[in-house]
Amino acid sequence: MVKRFGGVAAVNRVSLALEPGRIYGLIGPNGSGKTTLFDCITGVGQCDEGEIWFKGRRIERLKPHQIFHLGLGRTFQVIRVFPELTALENLLVVTTTDYAAARRRAQELLALVKLERLAGEFAGNLSYGQQKLVEFIRVLMTDPEMILLDEPAAGVNRTLLNELLDAVRRLRDQGKTVLLVEHDMKVVMGLCETVFVLDHGEKLAEGAPGVIQADERVIEAYFGR
Amino acid sequence: MVGQVVISGLLAGSLYAMVALGLGLIFGVMRVLNVAHGPMLMLGAYTTFWLFHWLGLSPYLSLLVSMPALFVVGVVLQRLLVRRVVDAPELSSLLLTFGVSIALVNLTQLAFTSDLRSVEYLTGAFILGPFAFSKSRVIACAFAILITAGAFWFLQKTRLGKAIRAVSQSREVAQVCGIDVQRIHMLAFGVASALAAAGGSLVAVMVAIQPEMGQMYTFKSFLVIVLGGAGNYPGALLGGLLLGLVEQLSSLFLTTQVNEAVAYILLVLVLLVRPTGLLKGRSS
Amino acid sequence: MKRAFLVGLAVVLVALALYPMQATGYGVRTMLQLFMWVALAQSWNLISGLTGYVSFGHVAFFGMGAYTAGILIGKLGWAWPAACLAGGVMAMVLAIVIGWPCLRLKGPYFAIAMLGLNEVLRVIVSYYEGLTGGGNGLSLPTLHASVPIYYAMGLVALAVTALAYLIITSRFGLRLMTIREDEVAAEAMGIDTFRHKLYAFLLSAVGPGIVGGLAARDQGYIEPLSVFPLITTITMIVMALFGGKGTIWGPVLGAVVLFAFQELVWARFIYLHQLFFGGIIVAVVLMMPRGILGVLQQKYNLPRTI
Repeated sequence: MVKRFGGVAAVNRVSLALEPGRIYGLIGPNGSGKTTLFDCITGVGQCDEGEIWFKGRRIERLKPHQIFHLGLGRTFQVIRVFPELTALENLLVVTTTDYAAARRRAQELLALVKLERLAGEFAGNLSYGQQKLVEFIRVLMTDPEMILLDEPAAGVNRTLLNELLDAVRRLRDQGKTVLLVEHDMKVVMGLCETVFVLDHGEKLAEGAPGVIQADERVIEAYFGR
Repeated sequence: MVGQVVISGLLAGSLYAMVALGLGLIFGVMRVLNVAHGPMLMLGAYTTFWLFHWLGLSPYLSLLVSMPALFVVGVVLQRLLVRRVVDAPELSSLLLTFGVSIALVNLTQLAFTSDLRSVEYLTGAFILGPFAFSKSRVIACAFAILITAGAFWFLQKTRLGKAIRAVSQSREVAQVCGIDVQRIHMLAFGVASALAAAGGSLVAVMVAIQPEMGQMYTFKSFLVIVLGGAGNYPGALLGGLLLGLVEQLSSLFLTTQVNEAVAYILLVLVLLVRPTGLLKGRSS
Repeated sequence: MKRAFLVGLAVVLVALALYPMQATGYGVRTMLQLFMWVALAQSWNLISGLTGYVSFGHVAFFGMGAYTAGILIGKLGWAWPAACLAGGVMAMVLAIVIGWPCLRLKGPYFAIAMLGLNEVLRVIVSYYEGLTGGGNGLSLPTLHASVPIYYAMGLVALAVTALAYLIITSRFGLRLMTIREDEVAAEAMGIDTFRHKLYAFLLSAVGPGIVGGLAARDQGYIEPLSVFPLITTITMIVMALFGGKGTIWGPVLGAVVLFAFQELVWARFIYLHQLFFGGIIVAVVLMMPRGILGVLQQKYNLPRTI
């Protein structure tokens, strides 16, 4: 897949193949094209060349909301909760199903991350970590098959982080596919089964965490050229 | 016939380009859609009128007064009001500048009444072969080109100009580079207002001056920005010329009244086809 | 608390319903105008307050309704209630025509497009002189129907407010608000923002359409300047902003307060009046962007049903 901005290819001929029931990591130095890749996959950006397949369908020309309804959800690098809606409302807007069922699910999810008592609080008033959790469970409201997480560990304290990681593992156990972009190497190495490395918009390496860590090219990309 | 129309279009377009550049500066630097841009032009026109009326000052000399004066007005407006909504949702800055524009127009109406004014300065036309061009249009175009060139020289060659371009591209990075973003915002607003004022002074000899005259220019400037791409300064030039051309060309086929709607239809068409502008602009 | 409010509301409604029996013709016509402004401000609220997409050209729907009703009554002899409803329908049609291309645009571009809408409509009206009377305007057969129109306007104002209530308390309304909060995230969360914006836009056009027709009937005469004036848009916006955009009762509050002010103080000084409104817009945006009710809502954590 290729995505260009002006004359620069932010994503240059990157190919990824993902299988269900696994956790994948996407790493690379800043500016390597990770979020752009996410944007293209989720329809927020349009790739210039290439194809994206999901569950047997080509999705690169679909709009974000259509992609979401196919079962692919994402969170954002900069938290995007709806500040003037309550935590509960943030979750409710996502589904179109019967209100009562939606409400139940929302409350389930809130309980999952121990935020039930904040259900009626405006999302904008919550702490950073709490907002992050809300964004996380919001994506789970419709039980998507694949979830893209953009820097889930950023700015999150250790306890919360562990809960988040446990939740991700549980999702994997349910057969979902998770792809996360992350800078925190400990998280990536401890959580992901396969890691992709991007550098300057190109795929540099792919493999198990241990292999990637030892790869010279990866080390060079991160620490010096 | 066509040649005449094309050149007329370019003449008019150069004015649009200059005024639109101002609006583009504000949008590029601050992401603010300045609905009060038209009133700035209007104030420039009135400045020229009164200087001509009281002192007999040539409209073209009055540029030396209207531009700095409105520069100051722009800076003050930005400092006092616009600054507070630069980071707010776009709705806020839109409404704010809308409110300011209403206030300016009505203040002018109170001060000067809405009687039509005009500056009778230059009449007649230059004849060049088969073409005839109204003198005031040609001279206005010449000045517009001069001023716009000056503006570009400023943007490209001077430190402040480069700072403006830097902030247009990325405020955070510019800040990190030590650029005083606040000052740049004020400067951009001031320059933009000066450009609008120049437009006003130049059209003062060509059209009827009244408090609401700016509205049309606001809209057309927006149109030019859309055509040229938001944040794309050279694009504004091309957009302005294009608008001028399209208007003049369509006047061949449509009545003058419907002509006014042409700009609008053009806008909707462009936005439908290329929401980020005809040329590569920065998406907002 | 809620019960008291409902009782109070009922009392007010009954009082308003009985008012024409006691009041002078002038009083009725004044109140009728107030209802009109409530309907207008509330309609503007439906699109701009909820989705954050500022509609600067909303008066276009008012004018559309006025001309539709005017032509139907004046040239085709329709009865005014049907003509006004037709005005509402035509306003919706206009909303689809305008909204379909323009709502795909991001907020600021949409605002630009709406700014020009007024001008275009005015031009179109002048062009089709045969039908619309062009710049000379259109006269309607005289009819003394202030009281029925009073009730009609009141009904529309009530209906639009009820609509606001229904929307704001529903998930549809919540989704509209997400567009205002963060459109990218809304899309990513499966919300078809375009469709939602379009529906809101359509709903916001009906009120002005019908009310435009009623106003035309009431005045008995319409011309481009009277039905497409910028001041109408300005007033709508100020009222909704002042009272609290995005709330249910905000536009009503804003309409009542500013209309009272307008009638009592400013109507005589038209430029001062507009200037004042311009100043209020600036002041509200800077100091009270959520309007009175919005601020109260935030401060006292009031439910959204305010």
